[in-house]
Amino acid sequence: MSRLLHDMNPSVKFIIVTVSMLTLAFFFNPWTPLLFWLGILALQVTMSRINWKLWALMMLPFTLGAVGYLWTTLVFGADTGGEVIGSFAGIQVTDEQWAHAWSLTFRVMAFSTLSLLFAFTTNPVTFVMSLMQQLKISPKIAYGTMVGYQFLPVLKDELTQIRQAQRLRGVGQDRHWWHRIAGTRRLLIPMLAGAVRKAERTAFAMEARGFTGERREEFYRPVKVSGLDYVLAGVFLVVLAASCAGGLVLGN
Amino acid sequence: MLKSWKLKEIVLMSLFGVVFGIVYLVAIHFGNIWAGLIGPIAYEWMFGIWFIVSILSMAIIRKPGAAVLPESIAAIIEVMLGNAVGPRLILSGVIQGLGAEAAFAATRYRHFNLAVMMLAGAGAAVFSFVYGYFVSGYAALDPSFVLLMFTLRMLSGAIIAGIGGKYLADGLLATGALRGYAISRPKQGGAGA
Repeated sequence: MSRLLHDMNPSVKFIIVTVSMLTLAFFFNPWTPLLFWLGILALQVTMSRINWKLWALMMLPFTLGAVGYLWTTLVFGADTGGEVIGSFAGIQVTDEQWAHAWSLTFRVMAFSTLSLLFAFTTNPVTFVMSLMQQLKISPKIAYGTMVGYQFLPVLKDELTQIRQAQRLRGVGQDRHWWHRIAGTRRLLIPMLAGAVRKAERTAFAMEARGFTGERREEFYRPVKVSGLDYVLAGVFLVVLAASCAGGLVLGN
Repeated sequence: MLKSWKLKEIVLMSLFGVVFGIVYLVAIHFGNIWAGLIGPIAYEWMFGIWFIVSILSMAIIRKPGAAVLPESIAAIIEVMLGNAVGPRLILSGVIQGLGAEAAFAATRYRHFNLAVMMLAGAGAAVFSFVYGYFVSGYAALDPSFVLLMFTLRMLSGAIIAGIGGKYLADGLLATGALRGYAISRPKQGGAGA
């Protein structure tokens, strides 16, 4: 029971997450996103094993962002009419604005929780393999993406090296942030030039080993859709439908 | 569409996606601190950073799809790296890429000068804003505030992505690393800027 979400097919999970987000975008009452958020949290608690400390750390910036949404909507909310329920520093807040503000705030929280659910329970390589096998993405793109993914640590090291080399030569002592922004070109050009060369070498090596980029029917490591995926997709859709219905009932 | 693509061009776009993924991680630090204080508008001025990869790749590869593909690949890589914005990044990546692609398609992939690149940056901004308007519920905000956000994003797209992309493409061309890509080929009759 506790690792079900980890075993779910990544493409199915991806579609469900996207559908849920697009559906939530139609609701402007505070209850739907709140209920959905709590539902997703419940699913994550019961069906996955994750590092909750790391989870909380990654939620923190989104929580800050949600606070930003709350007051932005209160201060710059659209003129929707409704009863004025309070005022602060000359800004009058109507009950509709109040509801909209909380709705957008909970929407940010629901979206972030859903995203983290995906990020924490999905293996990146299986995800791309599943995109290729279930969603029929071209093998050229799938494996090209994997190359980029594998090169990340190399490129990170390269960035450090370029920085250090430039510091040795006395460049890169930027005092102001606008210098630093203008100075990114100095870092980007060598990084990108390195990327061009690596891309050429890697593509050549792949083709030399017989990679043609043709679609195929059989795979070395098949990623399958099983009955479990349908059940889990059903569970997500029930949570989504329940929060939509609950929001409509509680919102009136 | 992919038939005419060489593998090295696809891998190149993927690696560009990673490089900009790293840049983006640095940029987001600026954003997050402000977002709590000044709300969603904090991200608007730097939205162009997300569009650069489309414009740079198109400047180099010059084939239909060279704007929408790298943006989509970059988004998939971001998701693979466990980016907390999650799977919805892929959708927004495709939509932004289509916005940039639209500008190049409108000029029939013949002109790759600064004006077209700025137009592509602005196009990406328009597409991504329409999508953001829907997903982030900007309808609940005051129209003049939404207009301010939209203007900021357009300017960011045209300046950071358009001018920045052109500037990077020229700088990269000067290093000589781009021999073997369309950008280095001699201009054919009437093509080019």
